[in-house]
Amino acid sequence: MKIALFSDIHANLPALHAFFESVEAHKPDALYCLGDLVGYHIWPNEVIGSIRRRSIPTIAGNHDAKVQKLKAADLAATSGKNYAYTLIGDSEKEYLATLPAHLRIEFQLKDGPLTLLLVHGSPVSNDEYLLEDKPEADFLDVFQKASADILCFGHSHKPYSRTLRDGNRYRLAINTGSVGKPKDGNPQGGYVLLTIPLDASIHHKDSILVEFVRFDYDVELSARTLEASSLPPEFADMLRKAY
Amino acid sequence: MKIALFSDIHANLPALEAFFADVETHKPDAIYCLGDLVGYNIWPNEVINEIRKRGIPTIAGNYDFGIGRTSDDCGCAYKTDDEKANGAVSISLTNEIVKDEERQYLRSLPAHIKVEFQLNNDKFNLLLVHGSPRRINEYLFEDREEKSMLRIMHDADADIMCFGHTHKPYHRILNDSKDDANHFRHAINIGSVGKPKDGNPQGGYVLLHITDHSSITDKDSIQVEFIRFDYDIEKAAKAVEDSRLPNAYAESLRKGI
Repeated sequence: MKIALFSDIHANLPALHAFFESVEAHKPDALYCLGDLVGYHIWPNEVIGSIRRRSIPTIAGNHDAKVQKLKAADLAATSGKNYAYTLIGDSEKEYLATLPAHLRIEFQLKDGPLTLLLVHGSPVSNDEYLLEDKPEADFLDVFQKASADILCFGHSHKPYSRTLRDGNRYRLAINTGSVGKPKDGNPQGGYVLLTIPLDASIHHKDSILVEFVRFDYDVELSARTLEASSLPPEFADMLRKAY
Repeated sequence: MKIALFSDIHANLPALEAFFADVETHKPDAIYCLGDLVGYNIWPNEVINEIRKRGIPTIAGNYDFGIGRTSDDCGCAYKTDDEKANGAVSISLTNEIVKDEERQYLRSLPAHIKVEFQLNNDKFNLLLVHGSPRRINEYLFEDREEKSMLRIMHDADADIMCFGHTHKPYHRILNDSKDDANHFRHAINIGSVGKPKDGNPQGGYVLLHITDHSSITDKDSIQVEFIRFDYDIEKAAKAVEDSRLPNAYAESLRKGI
């Protein structure tokens, strides 16, 4: 079973289009979106429409969840970073407001069950960062409390995977990176292909395959469109340099 | 949020094609398949590939579980000797025609998917299973005792539980109240795309409507829509008759039994 996981599009439509083109070539058996469809760019409605039209199961990111809590003054912004949220249409707001928080997928492997948990930030909060250098004991605690064997998340825009030993078994943490706003110094969009082979086991290290895919998109077009809008111009620089 | 749920296609390609044409007009925000892609008709590979190429999250049904492991047991509860003999023909033919890659796909399918909502500073879980949370081939019929149904949902931490397997659609709302506080749980059988058994030969599926007011304390805040659609039943029935499969399966399709 090959599963494609993507997140943190942040209203970057050219990046999303290039993502779809890239992922279709890999023919995943299932596709999940780990949230943050909006914020930082001018195409929130187009990005939401594009994901909805494909009926892709999607969970809420912190930016998606924040929209319904914004005050009238924020939604009246004519410039600055809140301007990005004023562009979101009513039907799109409704969609964002009903997105689930987590998806839990239970596999039956040869030697027992395996739980794949998809969240945006962490199982506790969509705004918590699970960074690569998190102390091992703390990370294992996150897995145990959430009853997850594989935990996939985005939010930091810095992709990584980390295998943690937990007694006689292994836990796997995967950051999916970001389609539309990478922060790891590589301006290409990124996502993850997760393969769970038929002989996978939580007792065998590396029996689950994680592939980080990077793809080109028209970064310049996206950055220039940003600069021509009322959004802070430094957002364009962040796209060009991926920070 | 509008979620489309379908299951029990049972290798009926004309029904699956009609389902896709119908569900697209409703523009669902997410689509899930609750299993039993194969068995009882001649198009198991085609049905698998149509679902696979769309990247639709799918869980394993009991027939998928059996074929995925090249077993001659589909976990089906056949009652009479005739049913058993017919069932043996169906599983042996299905094992013969399913190709390697398609069989591997069936074997790799997950057992359950749980969608965890956090709306209105509250939580509720939507659990998708094929038969029941306990067993892939357990039948949860509409007349199951309330206490038993609530216990199953409580043990699985499911506020909305969707399943197929019986091919008879229904929606039951049960109040699991504690200390006078309402806690409504929804048990939803989504029916069958390709082998309905409720007397209506049309294919069937469910649209689940979740709004930002949806809550376990408000019974009507979660809406379930049962959709039926026409498909070329004759084509599916003739395909059965022109194959080694028992003609009884063609009759089932024509009558919805």
